[in-house]
Amino acid sequence: MNAVDLAKMSFEKDILPILQENCFSCHGDGEAKGDLSLDGFKTANDVHRGYKIWEKIRKLVLANEMPPQKKKKRPDAKQRALLTDWTRQTLDTFYRTAPPDPGRVTVRRLNRAEYNNTIRDLMRVDFKPARDFPADDSGYGFDNIGDVLTMSPLLMEKYFAAAERIAAKAVAVPNADGRIVATPFQNFYFRYPAPPKLRRNAAEGFVRTFLARAYRRPVRAEEVRRLMLLAKQVVDDGASFEHGIRMAVVATLVSPHFLFRWEFDGAPKNPKAIRSLNEHELASRISFYIWNSIPDDALMELARRGQLRKNLPAQIRRMLRDAKAQSLVANFTGQWLQLRNLEMHQPDKRLFSAFNNELRADMRRETEMLFAHVMRENRSVVDLLDANYTFVNDRLANWYGLKKVKGGQFRIVSLKGTPRGGVLTHASVLTLTSDPNRTSPVKRGKYVLENILGTPPPPAPDNVPELESDAELKGTLRQQMVKHRENPVCASCHQKMDPIGFAFENFDAVGRWRTLDNGEPINAASQLDSGEKFRDATGLRKILAVRKRDLFVRCLTEKMLTFALGRGLEFYDKRAVDGIVKQMERDGFKFETLVMGIVKSLPFDMKRGEEGGK
Amino acid sequence: MIRSTHIPRRTFLRGLGTALALPALEAMLPARAVATGNAKFPTRMAFVYIPNGVIPEKWHVKGKGSDFQFSHILEPLKAHREDLLIFSGLAHTKARSNGDGAGDHARANATFLTGRQARKTAGADIRVGVSVDQLAAQKIGDKTRLPSLELSSDGRRMSGNCDSGYSCAYQFNLAWKSETTPLPPESDPRLVFERLFSNGKDRERNESRVRRERYKKSILDFVLEDAKALEKKLGYTDQRKLDEYLTSVRELEKRVTASGVSSAELPEGFKKPAGKPRDFGAHVRMMGDMMALAFQTDSTRIATYLLAHDGDNRSYPHLGVKGGHHSLSHHRNNSRNIADLTKINRFHCELFAHFLDRLKNIKEGDETLLDHSMIVYGGAIGDGNRHSHHDLPVVLAGKANGAIKTGRHATYPTETPMANLFLNMLDIMGAPRERMGDSTGQLKGLA
Repeated sequence: MNAVDLAKMSFEKDILPILQENCFSCHGDGEAKGDLSLDGFKTANDVHRGYKIWEKIRKLVLANEMPPQKKKKRPDAKQRALLTDWTRQTLDTFYRTAPPDPGRVTVRRLNRAEYNNTIRDLMRVDFKPARDFPADDSGYGFDNIGDVLTMSPLLMEKYFAAAERIAAKAVAVPNADGRIVATPFQNFYFRYPAPPKLRRNAAEGFVRTFLARAYRRPVRAEEVRRLMLLAKQVVDDGASFEHGIRMAVVATLVSPHFLFRWEFDGAPKNPKAIRSLNEHELASRISFYIWNSIPDDALMELARRGQLRKNLPAQIRRMLRDAKAQSLVANFTGQWLQLRNLEMHQPDKRLFSAFNNELRADMRRETEMLFAHVMRENRSVVDLLDANYTFVNDRLANWYGLKKVKGGQFRIVSLKGTPRGGVLTHASVLTLTSDPNRTSPVKRGKYVLENILGTPPPPAPDNVPELESDAELKGTLRQQMVKHRENPVCASCHQKMDPIGFAFENFDAVGRWRTLDNGEPINAASQLDSGEKFRDATGLRKILAVRKRDLFVRCLTEKMLTFALGRGLEFYDKRAVDGIVKQMERDGFKFETLVMGIVKSLPFDMKRGEEGGK
Repeated sequence: MIRSTHIPRRTFLRGLGTALALPALEAMLPARAVATGNAKFPTRMAFVYIPNGVIPEKWHVKGKGSDFQFSHILEPLKAHREDLLIFSGLAHTKARSNGDGAGDHARANATFLTGRQARKTAGADIRVGVSVDQLAAQKIGDKTRLPSLELSSDGRRMSGNCDSGYSCAYQFNLAWKSETTPLPPESDPRLVFERLFSNGKDRERNESRVRRERYKKSILDFVLEDAKALEKKLGYTDQRKLDEYLTSVRELEKRVTASGVSSAELPEGFKKPAGKPRDFGAHVRMMGDMMALAFQTDSTRIATYLLAHDGDNRSYPHLGVKGGHHSLSHHRNNSRNIADLTKINRFHCELFAHFLDRLKNIKEGDETLLDHSMIVYGGAIGDGNRHSHHDLPVVLAGKANGAIKTGRHATYPTETPMANLFLNMLDIMGAPRERMGDSTGQLKGLA
């Protein structure tokens, strides 16, 4: 049903009767099965107030889980559509017009990537100490979500061991002759060889600057004094000055001020207390977003002078072009496009004997390079879907059947006249959305719906009815699947996913071009659930990049905002997303506009206290 | 804000002053306290999780009591017949949707040791329940250097969303220290080994290690003060994060002060693993060896091992199986898929048999380590095709110092909570409870 018609509907006249007829036997007239009573919902305003419940109701009705299958009285397809569409539109309108709310980010522990980068930048040693840490759990598709990044005794043990190793590497101690081969870290903070009487001052100066860098904020004299005392005791007990410095480094690297990114509030438990971040907090957020690491001296200096907000565009541009932004490329694409899953993917060796680890790395590299190109050249993000160029070396070019590429160096090449273009035809994505032994149109379709269009299909219902078929299925995979889709319960979702997946059937389970499947010609033509017809992957690509462009831009914005904030998006963030998307529309969907939009958005720039003790 | 500037100077100086004078501490290692009762050797407990359910017809054994016949899948455990208790009828009904929609894999993982319904969230406010191993660890964990050991074969996480709107935390952790804090498992056998046996042989290294641990203590005191000063300045959730930090630091501190020993002595004939084997079978066997080593040296008495997370889509090419495990598990009654799944189910049992062999080969007095253990092997999905959470595949191995009567097949009424078995186990471990998760009371007839 279209938006105009929906707007004319009223809760009392059009929605309530459906509920009364189908739901009230368990959830109304005093009944409250599963603690849900619908009696209190008398107007659209009541629905607004109960938005959390209504989001859940909508999901369950959409997935055909409610009312339960065994109930005799169930709404028909039309009633279900009316109920779910109306709820969606009503709630969306409500969300867009609700009072501005920046939300609240739970304090974030450094994840593994952030820890490694931070050590590299702070300690000037680069040996990825977090390699041996347990994997970080993820939420909302990313592993930098404060709520999910927990701390455990095991991890603390690892932090401690890492801190000791880092301090030993970064701070050289006198050898038997009393001489020191100063490290880059030492040369940065001290002048070697320094006259002994200057050592105390040197130590204090060091502690002050080092702590401020490590804690990403100005430090109090008291904090400096305490750490000095800790270090001094080592020296007092006869160890070298450098041993004292090591002690201070270890203590700093296991301090909660280092391991967590705190943003202290005046009223942490008052959700109405909204505030702007101070400039050090802002510098930290930006830096961890784009570099997944601590702010550099330039950012810290701007923050100290209160000039960061005034200089944002120039700083963002600088940061995106810095080599450290490669971390955004790897970690964001690794998770948004799921490139990390390639590492674990094992194509069947007998079927795909030509696949090897070099190719696996090449595949990932290609997609990262396209993303990095769009980022550094400030191109339209739609290039990610529709670029008629890509990045290959000889091995990958050979995989794709591209000619005239010699040598292992990656370079930009034109894809004009080929069936490829955009990440969806990259071997990386095509492989990671396949099963080990065959393509999976369902997975490919689901991937596009979830990660490109931001319209994930409802999860499969609880009890998928079995297909009574033990007969060996014949024909192409697609012919087999069409047979399976004869079941109407499955069809409702699969007609959203499968056609998208069919478009890519010309690419096998490791991303190579093919024209036959199971000995029969491949038919990649299909029609989207929303009506658009296409002949093959190129046709689908055009539909996605033109007619579905807005959905893609919104989806990318939501994913990146989630990554940048380190929390899941809530209804009140819709306003921010709308704003960013609008700015992007105005200037051709430029990458920098996306990043600037995020950095200046309400949820990124401000925060509030937390509601309710749970 | 004003706060105490107390520096733990005494602790610190004690550390440095005595660093060189301390005797070698390894000599003090053996003869630790035993867990419970009159048993000469402590009772150990472990849980091994298998993903994606099983083919029920090929799993279920025929015959009841001691008069049972092995099924095709369980056949690899035949050599351990007298040490096995095979269960029928156990269920995890909290792993069902119960109004939360899809996500059976995430729920299966989350419910397996907690018996609780996982809160459906992709991140904010994850919550399930304290797991059985941690309930035991709370009570007896201080008797060993590590209160518990968490292992997994899955080092990497899948990226993108995990199962249907559930945070990946549910799917990749078995052990939950609190309702909101999962304990991350270690997947590299080398790192497990280093945790268990980090000390060197020669005296000098030992001395520097002792000194380091003294330093460690004073640093931990230092950061504890940092953390305590943050209290009362935080919102609810941030406070929870700080609590996790405080708990972790305190636990580390306890280890430094309590034992003075950072690790056990390595039994003869073992070498440090080089790292994670690429071959899955080799990896699993090695993780089993690590658990056995941890038990043998009494480094811990409690272990959990996620053989693979539920929903795992690993391929098993060496079994001649095409396709990923999870994809296959929706077998649609296709005979070929069923045959392939059966192979995988059976292969996992072979790997488990290796672990049992290990435990059985370690003598403790007149008996074996296996006789003093209870190892639960199973999963929280019954029929993989249907994602059902009743009639679960569960086997227990080991007599737990005579507390469990093995060599039989025990059938319980359909939908008997698996958490009931946990109550028995907690009792045996010396950490009794009236209830946990959805338990309704101990299982009858276990002894």
